Amino acid sequence: MPESERKSGLFVVPGDRLGVIEEFTSGPGTYVEGGTIHSKVTGCTLLDMLNKQVSVYPLVKSATVPQVGSIVTAMVSDVKNKNAVLSIFKVGDKTLSGFFKGMLHISGVSHGYVDNMFNVCKAGDIMKAKVISTENRSFFLSTADNDLGVVHALCSICGHVLQPGNRGMGCSNCGNNERRKTSPDYGKDITREVEQSES
Amino acid sequence: MKANKKKPKKEGEKMTSKKSEKLIDKKGIRLDGRKVDELRPVKMEVGVLPNADGSAYLEQGRNKILVGVYGPKEAHPRHIAQQDRAVIQCRYHMAPFSVDERKSPAPSRRDIELSKVIREALEPAVFLEYYPRTSIQVYIEILQADGGTRCAGITTAALALADAGIPMRDLVVACAAGKAGGKIALDLMDTEDKVGEADVPVAFMPNLNAVTLLQMDGNLSVDEFNTAVDMAIGGCKKLYEIQKEALKSKYVSEGVKEE
Repeated sequence: MPESERKSGLFVVPGDRLGVIEEFTSGPGTYVEGGTIHSKVTGCTLLDMLNKQVSVYPLVKSATVPQVGSIVTAMVSDVKNKNAVLSIFKVGDKTLSGFFKGMLHISGVSHGYVDNMFNVCKAGDIMKAKVISTENRSFFLSTADNDLGVVHALCSICGHVLQPGNRGMGCSNCGNNERRKTSPDYGKDITREVEQSES
Repeated sequence: MKANKKKPKKEGEKMTSKKSEKLIDKKGIRLDGRKVDELRPVKMEVGVLPNADGSAYLEQGRNKILVGVYGPKEAHPRHIAQQDRAVIQCRYHMAPFSVDERKSPAPSRRDIELSKVIREALEPAVFLEYYPRTSIQVYIEILQADGGTRCAGITTAALALADAGIPMRDLVVACAAGKAGGKIALDLMDTEDKVGEADVPVAFMPNLNAVTLLQMDGNLSVDEFNTAVDMAIGGCKKLYEIQKEALKSKYVSEGVKEE
């Protein structure tokens, strides 16, 4: 990019030269190769003349993967005594094109003592959880926070949607009582997420 | 029709003396009316498949190529996953109707080899280390083939990767040069490739000035080879401008709508 053309809002594609490291520091969406700053995404340039920083605001949707600390939405695919296996289909607000497998161990369910995973979630539930580790080939999840836990659950006898009641979760159809580690978001704005996980 | 290359080549060798002269006439005009250093007409489009994370479509002469990209997503089978980076899974596939005689849709030896060289041409451009334990899937469908599909496949795949929002060091752009009718020519088409003497596909990262794929099929002298590579890189640079325009025409108009 010639010096005269340097301004914010220019359209760039991956690889485009944005400047040299003597002029700018490399901001988000850019990388440095041999003293030159290049764009690494398709987007618009942003020049921060105050901090002498050049960055690229992406116009493409960003490729998303779960990272330590991200809040994910996942469907429970298998529950064992001390472990549950979850299929992560949403990271933050972004729906993934595939699934990532996540593990929820009983020690990460809540701050208090939990004796059995079956009192936390059942296969088919939708949960909100936080990624606590990506080591050892899997995403390890935790629901030990007030706003995390099951957000959608079905009765294991008749398949109707469970309603939170005084004693755990109650089924309005057959009167069955079950226990879950629920999130305060239980039942809110969930229809769309259920559709996504089923499609 | 490179799959059946051996047979036509033998026939071609017999006919070389007759046919080579016809490939390029005295004025330097080729069978399809191009000059020796001229590309076929190219059309590129980005984001043509709503179900894929990224996609691109390319027409180069009579080549028609569609690429869909998925990912980064969980690698399956799990043993292919790498702890420190993503893996690219690339499938080059020719549709049964892409050539004159029906091609079996099963992956041939040639398809598997091209999948590998295309993957290796794209890998240096992608920031694979950002997405450990995942795979990025690149599906290249050749809908119609007329020579130089590996190059056109790489050019299209790079666009689709950029459309998927995968961070890249540079776009990759590929173009072939070769020797047909005794002269070095750019962007060989099917007949020139089969009857002609040699073919040199080159994949190139224009901003980093780096070559990611270089092959040669046939025989060239050192001088001829150098001319062919220079000519191919020249073709790559022209194609790169079209690639940029294709991305711009998708994203700039969308950006205006959002505002």
